[in-house]
Amino acid sequence: MVLYLLRRILSALGILLLISLFTYAIFFLLSPDPAVLICGKTCTPERIDQIRGQLGLDQPFWVQYWEFLRGLVAGRSYGDGPSAIDCAAPCLGFSFQTNESVTNMITSRFPVSATLAIGAAVLWLLAGIGGGLLSAVKQGTWWDRGAMMVALGGISLPNYFVALILQYVLVVQLQILPFPTAVEFGENPLLWFQSYLMPWLVLAFAYASMYARLVRTNVIDTLGENFMRTARAKGLAAPLILRRHALRPALTPVVTLFGMDFAGLLGGALITETVFGLNGVGKLAADSIAKNDQPVIMGVTLLAALFVVFGNVIVDILYTVLDPRVRVTSR
Amino acid sequence: MNTTPLLEIEHLTITFPTGSGPVDVVRDLSAVLDANRTLGVVGESGSGKSMTSLAIMGLLPSTARVSGSIRLNGQELVGKTDREFRTIRGEKVAMVFQDPLSSLNPYYTVGLQIEEAYRSHRGGSRRAARAVVLDALERVRIKDAARRIDHYPHQFSGGMRQRIMIAMALCLEPELLIADEPTTALDVTVQAQILDLLAELQQETGSGMIFITHDLAVVSQVAEDILVMKDGDVVERGTAEQIFSNPQAAYTRSLLDALPRIDDPFEELRGTAR
Repeated sequence: MVLYLLRRILSALGILLLISLFTYAIFFLLSPDPAVLICGKTCTPERIDQIRGQLGLDQPFWVQYWEFLRGLVAGRSYGDGPSAIDCAAPCLGFSFQTNESVTNMITSRFPVSATLAIGAAVLWLLAGIGGGLLSAVKQGTWWDRGAMMVALGGISLPNYFVALILQYVLVVQLQILPFPTAVEFGENPLLWFQSYLMPWLVLAFAYASMYARLVRTNVIDTLGENFMRTARAKGLAAPLILRRHALRPALTPVVTLFGMDFAGLLGGALITETVFGLNGVGKLAADSIAKNDQPVIMGVTLLAALFVVFGNVIVDILYTVLDPRVRVTSR
Repeated sequence: MNTTPLLEIEHLTITFPTGSGPVDVVRDLSAVLDANRTLGVVGESGSGKSMTSLAIMGLLPSTARVSGSIRLNGQELVGKTDREFRTIRGEKVAMVFQDPLSSLNPYYTVGLQIEEAYRSHRGGSRRAARAVVLDALERVRIKDAARRIDHYPHQFSGGMRQRIMIAMALCLEPELLIADEPTTALDVTVQAQILDLLAELQQETGSGMIFITHDLAVVSQVAEDILVMKDGDVVERGTAEQIFSNPQAAYTRSLLDALPRIDDPFEELRGTAR
């Protein structure tokens, strides 16, 4: 088991290294000269050369990449002498636009994305699993058909569209909720909750729809398994059969999906955050893409990759506990 | 002394509604089984033999219409609700299914799956139930049962899993055991072991057994009485002796002809021509 863990973590680190290499190469090759971007419109060639030297942009690709990795692990400093700028590990460089440390930009925005992800996850797990189960048990009834229609809507309607409709109905027409504002939980808990409620609902609607359909299919498939017939033939009570024999096989695959989805959301929900003006990692990514702010794009990409890759590792480890067939072969 | 037989089936008809009108999967089936005896039900796929056994267990799909009578120790089973059937399933009538590979839940240890059958009828502590389970596993000759009780189904071979299914069926000492093609998915040597085991356990417990199969060679080894079914009808009935020595129905004769015979000079030729 320890060996298995070690192997999984090592391979995850390997994947992350590859991702960092590819993203770095893409930005290195495809983007316009960062020195020009930093320097602005009124700029002398001397100043550009100076910036190049300070950021190490005059070095070959491999040297730059190596410096980037070293900065990530051990920190680095740009330039030498008294004008050198220190960048503590994990160093992702400085924004070309604001000169702010990318690491600080991300860590200051991360709580917003995490709040969004956790709140939405609670909602979509409840609605998705609950709705899917009910639909499976009441298969073919009006409830089932209605719920699956709604779920189809949740899957096919784009996030921003649902967000706009929700805002129009709840804020403009019914005036149940105030316009979302950036407010800390400590300042005004009610307003905080009201501001997050719509983004939570929008995100949760899409995911819950997917989960409900998956859970419904899984439960129906499991109910048709031979071991369900065995359970009935033993004379077990119906609730026990459902709880013990149907739920676990049906819900175990949901763990995989949830691990991936949740990890992906921790890396920022681009559209939802942008539509609701939530200052999270997703909005940071969208803004930096619009402004071609390479260090920031690089930073949020790596963060998202980190979450997805380690989300995967955690799911795999969980699986060895949840599915006895995996447990044995992994030894 | 007049005793009620263990199982009496009278004029059992099972009908399913379909898009093109109702279809009878079993028509007017009558049979009697006493304790300590084995009734073989023989027929091809779709002949209604499995449907009959599911009707005894109350496990037919909810769309099925059942008429006629099934009496277990004089107690009428037709028309019972699912809840009422629960006290019969496992406790009075137990079933061993065709496919031992998929009949056990892969997520739970075999010990737990036998234990829950026992405890849902008899209650008691897990510790007490575990002793019963261990005993049942030993009776079906699982080697090293004390360790194997905590293993998962995928850690057992097909034949072993069928033994576990039998242990599950026997732990409550049912009066009637229904074995629905219990050896079909197993290879021939394992098949013989399972048949021996079933016969032996039946002698120990004195239960009645319904043995469903499409294989006349198998049924000849276990059953005293035989029903031959085709398309929902009983086409022939009698003792094993009668059926094998003097089959009346053309269908039975064709089934018998399909058996390999040691005294058939053309056997070899037919085998190669296939």
